[in-house]
Amino acid sequence: MPSTPAERPAALEVRSLTKRYGDGTVALHDLDLTVRDGAFFGLLGPNGAGKTTLISAVCNLIRITSGDVLVFGDPAETLPARRAVGLAEQEINLDRFLTVEETLIYHGGWFGMAKAEATARAREMIAVFDLGAKCDVRTPRLSGGMRRRLLLARALMHRPRLVILDEPTAGVDFELRQELWRYIRRLHGEGTTILLTTHYLEEAEALCEEIALIRAGRLIARDSSAGLREHYHASSLADVYVKAMGTPAESQATR
Amino acid sequence: MRGLRWLAKRELLRVTKLWTQTVLAPVISSSLFMIVFGLSLGDRIKQIEGFDYSVFIVPGLIAMAMVQAAYSNNSSSVFQARSDRYIDDVLSAPMHSWQMNLGFNIGGIVRALAIGVSMVALAIPLTGVPVEQPLVLVVAVALGLVLFGALGTVVGIFAETFDHHTFVANIVILPLAFVGGVFYSVDTLGSPWHELSHVNPVFYLVNAIRYGFLGTSDVAVTLCLAVTAGLAVPTYLWSQYLFSSGRKLKP
Repeated sequence: MPSTPAERPAALEVRSLTKRYGDGTVALHDLDLTVRDGAFFGLLGPNGAGKTTLISAVCNLIRITSGDVLVFGDPAETLPARRAVGLAEQEINLDRFLTVEETLIYHGGWFGMAKAEATARAREMIAVFDLGAKCDVRTPRLSGGMRRRLLLARALMHRPRLVILDEPTAGVDFELRQELWRYIRRLHGEGTTILLTTHYLEEAEALCEEIALIRAGRLIARDSSAGLREHYHASSLADVYVKAMGTPAESQATR
Repeated sequence: MRGLRWLAKRELLRVTKLWTQTVLAPVISSSLFMIVFGLSLGDRIKQIEGFDYSVFIVPGLIAMAMVQAAYSNNSSSVFQARSDRYIDDVLSAPMHSWQMNLGFNIGGIVRALAIGVSMVALAIPLTGVPVEQPLVLVVAVALGLVLFGALGTVVGIFAETFDHHTFVANIVILPLAFVGGVFYSVDTLGSPWHELSHVNPVFYLVNAIRYGFLGTSDVAVTLCLAVTAGLAVPTYLWSQYLFSSGRKLKP
């Protein structure tokens, strides 16, 4: 078994990934991206840049046109790869027939957990995300904040090695956002790889060790926050973002 | 296999949480058919194929209720899963496509069986309907539920609106069931209705189930089972193909 970071397979390796939708829209153009095991990686870009398409390709939720997606060395469509990924989608997608606790237990079940294990883990997640008061409430009756907490709890339920958070704090109040980030930081500290998309640039700057900028389906830059600031002669990540997004994607060399 | 068990359990949970709609309502409406058409009007109708009318219609009513339940359960459950996008949680899970397909199909099959068993439990004391060929009955029910359960799954995957699901239920399945010999023997029909009945797939299922109960059918029971199997297998494979390929499920 490989043990050093250099020997371990990347948490995510995307090679020449292209996705053309049925209506002809090309959401990803020959995209390459590597996220090392244990990284806290940010993916930034405007709406329609291809972030969610990329995430969907990793999570087996779209049919890719060409290219390869590997998760810890396994093709993304294989069962070991799927077992290794936890996804909190941007849109709330909860099962309306299930309660909070059932949502977590059933998710654990279809990710291979036995009932006792799933129940114990669900209780742990309910405590961590402060969902105890709504444990037996069906999901349509939850507030927006509670639904967001539940989505995150569900993504982490099966202890994934790669956690993908697609704008997890969209529409979330300041307190909950702080609370969520405390937990995500802790998780990262324990070795979990985090792939984050967000429109809160200060959040990405504070949290992510590495950031990739994506626009029109192409990766236009990738570095640490400091490296990006230096490259773009910018004082903040927000300035980097403005400069990077203001230049035609095709003319930018990927760092 | 745990994923499959939990997915099947989730589909059954949906049936049990909505049991008044999913099981009780169809049992009551079919029982009303049995009481109104069979017991109230039955005395005015001469025997059909040697059976009282109240007995003759029971197998067809049970078949009709079961196929409608198998279809509508799966089409609405899969459509809702797609519409609410909770299906992403299943599609991203480490499950084989055959497990997903089977898991989504089980809900409709179990719901239909619950309705069928309840109706048999009511029909035997009410009408005295016999079960002459239990093995044929089991095979016919199994094939019919696979056919209409898988059809429901396919429609749930293709449907763009809830109307598409109800269109197939109300404009295709219900009329086919009504003209499939539920309430009469097609031997009593003149040409061309007699011949047209033979291109109705529900006609073969109704007759196979009638043979299971009464030991009689309008056409050979082997033909009935062969036609139903000939439709059930490709329909289930179609549903399996959609899960394997991701077509319509994954953009």
